[in-house]
Amino acid sequence: MKGTIKDILKISGVHGYVLARDKTMQIKLPSKHRFAGAKKQIKLLYDDLIQARKRPGNTMEIFFEDLVLTIFTSGMTMLMVLSSTRVNLALVRMTGKLAIANLAKEKF
Amino acid sequence: MNQDISGGLDTTRCPEIVKILSLGKRSGKLSLSNGSQSGSIFFRDGEVIHAQCGALQGAKAIYELAVWTSGEYRFSVDEMPDAVTVELSVDEILAEATNRIRQMDRVISLIPSSTIVYALDPEIKEKEIVLKSIQWKILAQIDGKKTIADIAQNTGLGVSDTMKVFYTLVKSGLLREAYPSEAESPVDMVELPETPFIKALKDDLTRAIGPVAPFIITETAREMNLDLLADDVEQKAALIETLSSKIPSETMSLKFLDSMTDWINTEDI
Repeated sequence: MKGTIKDILKISGVHGYVLARDKTMQIKLPSKHRFAGAKKQIKLLYDDLIQARKRPGNTMEIFFEDLVLTIFTSGMTMLMVLSSTRVNLALVRMTGKLAIANLAKEKF
Repeated sequence: MNQDISGGLDTTRCPEIVKILSLGKRSGKLSLSNGSQSGSIFFRDGEVIHAQCGALQGAKAIYELAVWTSGEYRFSVDEMPDAVTVELSVDEILAEATNRIRQMDRVISLIPSSTIVYALDPEIKEKEIVLKSIQWKILAQIDGKKTIADIAQNTGLGVSDTMKVFYTLVKSGLLREAYPSEAESPVDMVELPETPFIKALKDDLTRAIGPVAPFIITETAREMNLDLLADDVEQKAALIETLSSKIPSETMSLKFLDSMTDWINTEDI
């Protein structure tokens, strides 16, 4: 299966990603990105999403004025893709679903 | 006891006639007809020695004839067959025939006729459905135009056996009765454009969910108000993503996504 985070980053309009599992969090964003320093807020979001076990589906999209957060969850793993609003969101979702499926199999 | 006998199958079903001829130690040919179908059972001194019904021969042919509830029969004395295809005793044949009739009564309560046309139902309720090869063989023939009898002829199965398979498919929620307009005219909605993208989509989705794939593609495109001929990567990705969410098996859904993401990346971007 070829869906990896690298494939997501190749999509035009994708700014970067956040990968979280348990207490580990990896943020890959341009240093001036306004989410680059939002580790605490992302951790709160991660805790909320991972704890809500009865939530249907495993893909979420949060729209801001100028960017979109596409969040994929699987078990204790969360992958958040940050992109511009003009990105091909369906392609992000397709690649993200593959990536989270691969990540869920890996050990951190 | 040498005279020919005849009558209607609506009052006397095949197993009863076989029993009477067996008890009378008769020799000859019992011919049965039911609309366009016909069959025959040969007796020698009350024992069944040969039977034929369409492409079926031997005991299978008798079981097919046993479930007919309408039509005519005629017994002609001393007509003998060229071959012997039945080696079961009359009691064994009758026991199995009774069993088949009982099963068929249940089938007919859901599927009253072999002239009914079924189409694939895109609204699958079960998350996962496991099919036997015989069910797949039948499913691959269903196009919203062929009757059960047509499919029985194409597959070489008896009509009653084909109806039994249809019964299981209808019960699983895979089929619905085709509307007359669908049955009379070609099913336009499964005729997809022949573009490389649609071909790849159809092939991969068929691998994931079977022959219903073209129908699902057309319906999904219609629901999403997408033009299948449009050369728009966003539309294509949206269609792929929505279709992947309709694949009940997660593994197959990911395989489909994997293959189509590859396709989009190499062909379009």
